[in-house]
Amino acid sequence: MTEPLGTLAELRRALDAGAVSSAELVDRSLARAEAVEPRLHALLATREERARAEAAEADERRARGGVRSPLDGIPIALKDNLAQAGEKVGCASKILQGYESPFDATAVARLREAGAVVVARTNMDEFAMGSSTENSAYGTSRNPWNPERSPGGSSGGSAVAVAAGIVPVALGSDTGGSIRQPAAFTGVVGMKPTYGRVSRFGLVAFASSLDQIGPFAHTAADCASVLDVISGHDPRDSTSLPEPATRCLAALSGDLSGLVIGLPSEYYASEGVDPEVLARVSEAVAELEAGGARTREVSLPHTQFAVATYYLIATAEASSNLARFDGVRYGRRAAGVRGLTEMYERSRSEGFGAEVKRRILLGTFVLSAGYYDAYYRKAQQVRTLLRRDFDEALSGCDVLITPTTPETAFRIGEKASDPLTMYLSDIFTVSANLAGLPGLSIPCGFANQMPVGLQVLGRPLEDATPLRVADAFQRRTDFHLQRPPDPR
Amino acid sequence: MSSDAHPHYEAVIGLEVHVHLRTRAKLFCSCAVSYGDGPNHHTCPVCLALPGALPVLNGAAVEHAIRTGLATHCEVHSRSIFARKNYFYPDLPKGYQISQYEKPLATGGWIEIEVDGQEARRIGITRIHMEEDAGKSIHDGAATETHVDLNRTSVPLIEVVSEPEIRSPEEAGAYLRSLRAILRYIESSDADLEKGQFRCDANVSLRPQGSTEFGTRTEIKNVNSFRFVEDAIRAEIDRQAAILDDGGAISQATLGYDAEADRLFVMRLKENADDYRYFPDPDLIPLVVDEERIEEIRATLPELPDQKRLRFESEYGLSTQEARLLSASRALAEFFEAAARAHGTAKSVANWMLRDLLAALREREIEIEEAAIAPEALARLIEMVDRGRVTAKSARDLVAELTEQGGDPEALVRERGLEAVSDVGLLESVADAVIGANPDVARAYAQGDKKVVNFLMGQVMKKTQGKADPGRVREILARKLEE
Repeated sequence: MTEPLGTLAELRRALDAGAVSSAELVDRSLARAEAVEPRLHALLATREERARAEAAEADERRARGGVRSPLDGIPIALKDNLAQAGEKVGCASKILQGYESPFDATAVARLREAGAVVVARTNMDEFAMGSSTENSAYGTSRNPWNPERSPGGSSGGSAVAVAAGIVPVALGSDTGGSIRQPAAFTGVVGMKPTYGRVSRFGLVAFASSLDQIGPFAHTAADCASVLDVISGHDPRDSTSLPEPATRCLAALSGDLSGLVIGLPSEYYASEGVDPEVLARVSEAVAELEAGGARTREVSLPHTQFAVATYYLIATAEASSNLARFDGVRYGRRAAGVRGLTEMYERSRSEGFGAEVKRRILLGTFVLSAGYYDAYYRKAQQVRTLLRRDFDEALSGCDVLITPTTPETAFRIGEKASDPLTMYLSDIFTVSANLAGLPGLSIPCGFANQMPVGLQVLGRPLEDATPLRVADAFQRRTDFHLQRPPDPR
Repeated sequence: MSSDAHPHYEAVIGLEVHVHLRTRAKLFCSCAVSYGDGPNHHTCPVCLALPGALPVLNGAAVEHAIRTGLATHCEVHSRSIFARKNYFYPDLPKGYQISQYEKPLATGGWIEIEVDGQEARRIGITRIHMEEDAGKSIHDGAATETHVDLNRTSVPLIEVVSEPEIRSPEEAGAYLRSLRAILRYIESSDADLEKGQFRCDANVSLRPQGSTEFGTRTEIKNVNSFRFVEDAIRAEIDRQAAILDDGGAISQATLGYDAEADRLFVMRLKENADDYRYFPDPDLIPLVVDEERIEEIRATLPELPDQKRLRFESEYGLSTQEARLLSASRALAEFFEAAARAHGTAKSVANWMLRDLLAALREREIEIEEAAIAPEALARLIEMVDRGRVTAKSARDLVAELTEQGGDPEALVRERGLEAVSDVGLLESVADAVIGANPDVARAYAQGDKKVVNFLMGQVMKKTQGKADPGRVREILARKLEE
């Protein structure tokens, strides 16, 4: 079987040494995809001709000594909710069937300007609503560590594409854990930057106040390289932060001395956390302490309300954000409709899957007259309290460390029939979105033969700090070097 | 004040006016604001609501909205919030309209209105909020298809909401004219009704005279002229009064107005309040304008219609009515002041404008901006009359001509041979000839019937093609007849 591609840093070195060309990398990426796709289904589309042409351009640039960035000539993959000019953007939904974007998302444009070559679009839960990719209209992705298990979601396809070696890096989006949870499940690094750090322009919105684009890679350093390209103010996104982006790669010193790690007691005491997962996290924390970090217990007293708060705000925003998919201007319109109401009803009934409908209904209810104060407004108030919890906790430490998920990857189908259990699997990740914090997940060992994710959260705008911690951890450990077996 | 036709009821009227702000670009994207171009010519990913597109607020629109708030004596808030008003319609691409709801830009203002023969009074303004316009649905004759034109989508609007303090159709008209004048003065909107830049909805209810409770109200939507607004409100007051007189109850409804038939029709009954599920738009940050900026904008406001009227009264000795007419638009007021400066006697210029120039404009259905006459030309023409170089009669015809074609009055007078006949010798010989030809008239005069001189004057004027100075002719005739 075709070999998996290496890390971004390895491929960069090989390109710079002339050991490989970008054209070869793209070919290897596409070949690897072809080999593993039948078993894993990470991708919704590949971009063969255009990717090869762009790779050839990258090779010419390199020959002329005009390499644009560490990503120049590197094959990458995009989650299907990121706009790329001239490509289909489907959000793994039938309702967007046939829709092609006329513009690039800002993050995509920046990657392409840096020379990265988009080879594929990755599978996801429809409109990023889900934690397993089981809500994709185009089939479920599978975990390369055990194809009977879920890769997590909603950015499951991007996680698998990296874990299975199709691409060294991929972009996903994280609204309540949609990057970090699949990263944890598939044994890769996934990072959700500070809210507003990466422009949302061109990211099809699920919940605007929570959504954030971020990278998947094998290493924290590779994530930093991607982040350095895609971060920074964008005048086309009003919620984009004006502050200049710090250079993350340059901040990876490997030094942990003086670092204070906060351990939120509510996370460690919560019910239903797999003791094996907790054991791996404790071992990882001990490793960081051995590297010079200190730990202290902190409290996030409103943690118990986070999941409820998240599902009120996220569904409210989603119910409005998804109103534009109405069959009028683009995408799929139901056939043979008579009249406007029927066009709306049938186009949306036929175009959206069950989970999307469930969330639109929930969100519509939450915003309705008579319920707004009890649900939406109350949720916003709790959100403020959660933010204060984090402000307080992070005033005495540099990062917070928790398990990324209570359990390792669940079996496909295990939670699909029980949305509430599925929602609770987001318990450790949603708070970072509500508070707008940067957070990442790195592999920190195995439990039940499946990867365990360690979540590192930082202060807003200090995206480099969790990356520095993760990088230092990876310098001391080899979990990130372990690869899943080739699927059979 | 009671409704004239129905003295036992008091009408309670509130107006909601949607105003297009005068910006080059739309409210949340850089598409041009343009009228009359081909359908969907001015659209982009943002105003088409393509997946992933995001709104970015146009600062110029905010400035115009603030100007309007300040010019209508509102409190302009340094922090306001954009909210989504959710509803489905094909000409609303996002499925929601970005508006302001709980925290509008400006609140608590007033404008002064005056209805002929009544004291001027203030009408309160509840709020002014910013929002984007929707597109247009075009229902073709075929009746099976609806087409959507999104050129108007996201054109910047403000909605100006009055307090329910308006008591008659005439006051409603006066309010709208006053608001429109202010908007045009501050150049925040062209407020062209025909282009849909100034659209009015009227809420109307009746209550027994002396009551302080509100009756059930109806809303008249989108009437496109001031006169029709007045007519529609009048018709609605009549309709409601008839129902109430019969002991009936008003049902809450949205009404349209058929101007041709002078009739209202029900667009839809509102049994339940609409639920637009407003919530703060998470794609936009709160609109923050610091106090300093608000004061800077205030400092750039021009003199407003009311201020100008008061100044015209005190500075030029005009009556309130004259001052109001001449300050009706900024361009007219500026024309007046330029002409007054050039001529030197404002009162005289005011008279000429009010009597002749406004009539010429009305006759041609144009505004002063569109007239070809220059203020200096009017001043020169009046000066020629003052000096007896042209008769008032000739001059009045020339005002109309200058309005139409422009030009220099001196040249025009020369060209047309309209110089007043001031040659006394010539006038005396014409007078002699006229008296000689009408001996019986001269006799009547001698017998004390002094007013026959008017007939003789008419004859002289006729013989001089109206170019003689009437004062001088009268003087010569009187002298000769007395002799």
